[in-house]
Amino acid sequence: MVTIAPDITSKPGSANNSSDVLRLGRPFRYIVLTLVGLFFIVPIVSSARFSFLGNHNSFTISAYTQLFGTAQFWSTLFLSAKVGVGTVFLTLLLLIPTVVWVHVRLPKLRRVFEAASLLPLVVPSVVVTLGVITSFRGLPNIIYGTPVILSLEYVVLALPFSYRALDSAVQSIDLKTLVEAGQSLGSGWIKLLRYVLLPNLRGGIIGASILTFAFCLGEFAVASLLSFTTFPVFLVQVGQLAASQAVALSLLALLFTWIPLAVITIVFSQRRAKRSTPVLDDLEIS
Amino acid sequence: MKTKTNTQGGRYGRSGLPVEFDGIARNFKDVAALKSFNLHADPGELIVLLGPSGCGKTTALRVLAGLEMPDSGRVTIGNHDVTSLPAAKRNIGMVFQSYSLFPNMTARENVEFGLRVRGQKQSDRTARSNELLELIGLKDQADRYPHQLSGGQQQRVALARALAIKPEVLVLDEPLSALDAKVRSSLRDEIRRIQLELGITTFFVTHDQEEALAIADRIAVMHQGQLEQLDTPLAVYTNPATEFVAEFVGTVNRLPGKVINSNTVEVATVGPINYAYDGAFPSGSQVEVLVRPESIGVRDGGDDTCRVLAKSFLGSTIKLTLLDKSDRLIIVAIPTSEAALVANSETVSLYSRGDALLVKDGAR
Ligand SMILES: Nc1ncnc2c1ncn2[C@@H]1O[C@H](COP(=O)(O)OP(=O)(O)OP(=O)(O)O)[C@@H](O)[C@H]1O
Ligand SMILES: [Mg+2]
Repeated sequence: MVTIAPDITSKPGSANNSSDVLRLGRPFRYIVLTLVGLFFIVPIVSSARFSFLGNHNSFTISAYTQLFGTAQFWSTLFLSAKVGVGTVFLTLLLLIPTVVWVHVRLPKLRRVFEAASLLPLVVPSVVVTLGVITSFRGLPNIIYGTPVILSLEYVVLALPFSYRALDSAVQSIDLKTLVEAGQSLGSGWIKLLRYVLLPNLRGGIIGASILTFAFCLGEFAVASLLSFTTFPVFLVQVGQLAASQAVALSLLALLFTWIPLAVITIVFSQRRAKRSTPVLDDLEIS
Repeated sequence: MKTKTNTQGGRYGRSGLPVEFDGIARNFKDVAALKSFNLHADPGELIVLLGPSGCGKTTALRVLAGLEMPDSGRVTIGNHDVTSLPAAKRNIGMVFQSYSLFPNMTARENVEFGLRVRGQKQSDRTARSNELLELIGLKDQADRYPHQLSGGQQQRVALARALAIKPEVLVLDEPLSALDAKVRSSLRDEIRRIQLELGITTFFVTHDQEEALAIADRIAVMHQGQLEQLDTPLAVYTNPATEFVAEFVGTVNRLPGKVINSNTVEVATVGPINYAYDGAFPSGSQVEVLVRPESIGVRDGGDDTCRVLAKSFLGSTIKLTLLDKSDRLIIVAIPTSEAALVANSETVSLYSRGDALLVKDGAR
């Protein structure tokens, strides 16, 4: 299996591409790296500089202090985080069983599901938004009139990222055989999920969570369309009034995305490192 | 060997259960993977399923293990009809062709998995996994992860994992096919030893005839989703029920012949050969005769000679590839003790030194 598609499974940059790059030599590599680095870093640095700029080019942190003093800053941030966490939760709840089921029972439909998961990229998000709204119209107000509906929108809109992340994790293990081995050993689905699927799909689950969360923290159009003042919506509103505050805000937004990502990554990689002593056993006996 | 089963206080001291496939059919779209497939395994017996690729061996095992539901027919283990029982409830130990250990668990955790999902106490689980890791000789590797084990070791652990649950039936689908020849034959013998020790009814799929002949109590030769013959290795080899079995197990020569009387047939180039055929052909009928390479002997000289195209030394036998005067290829196997007969000869003549395998109507 693996040998059939070495290009996909081998590490990026190995084999095929590297020979060309090597021929061009090290200087070329450094030039590329530097250019890419500049492309990312220059805007961030100059934004940062701008956000600390007071009258007459003096240094000030007033943009930040003002922001932190705004009630809306905290409330919108909290709303976005809440929606993000909810979306991640719903996404995993929906997608893990789906992806597993498709691989084990409906392998022929894999391509169909994959294509379907890409639809939100193709269909304009306004259309998706209206579609989701229409589908959930009948539901009680706790869903329909609250940020829950926003999470439902984001579950759909982030599908291209979340589905791919999980799907590729599933493809990297022989899921069908592992499931069947587990079943023949007497395991039901719950225990399979807990002992076999979740631990072996951890990478994909983390990836899907990170991508989904980041998506939620950055999405503007749909939130604005549905009149929820999320963090990005707040950012745009501020931007129309105070430029340096808006820039400070977007830097903070970056931080707020990165910090949870870093935490998730660190927590999970530590758990992984501890694995050499049987973790699950401790959890389970009592 | 057998005594160990009893000294273990009956832990292994259970002779296996009979297993019955009764008229199983399983279709995948337009492919009939199994059609009215019948097979009865006696308690404690090791049955090897042998047959060409796509004949339904894996499907048969999966139906037995509950991983595939038959369209019709019944599967019985002991006295229980398990046809509609899900895999998790069947208590069948399964070893897969591909490496199937849980990558996130050590060898020991893998072995204990089936006990863990049954909610057994850690101390019982450890005792049992120690016992099994000992049985497969991997006690020192207990804390390694699958990726730290060789292919052969992984399949041993898979075997231990399957046995840990004290399965009623053991099912192995080409468990050795990913291993190199040396490991394959030693692990094969080990599987047989353990199987005999436990007395567990076992189904073993292989493509490798030698493997099949070596470990089977009985071989089930399958063809196009059906059982062609179920018999001891010796009987399958020396007394194939059908032409397909004769061709599939071992090598055969097909030669035209003419029936002389109810138990002799005159075969081209080789001469008269004995045969046993129930509905004997009338004398003079043109027939096709299937003869094993070792049922033909060679001698120097003679009129009806064959040219020696190739000689290959196989240890206890020498395989000769011959071309007769009508340009038919004939394969002959002679004992190495007769090597002198063909040491310098370019041509040899043939005679029969055993019975014909099968005689069938009409020469081609
Ligand atoms: N899940 C499936 N979907 C469609 N066709 C299948 C499926 N599983 C098996 N088949 C078909 O059923 C037939 C029997 O397959 P099976 O895997 O049982 O053969 P096998 O004897 O194990 O072959 P091999 O020796 O190659 O493993 C084959 O023609 C195969 O293509
Ligand atoms: Mg098979």
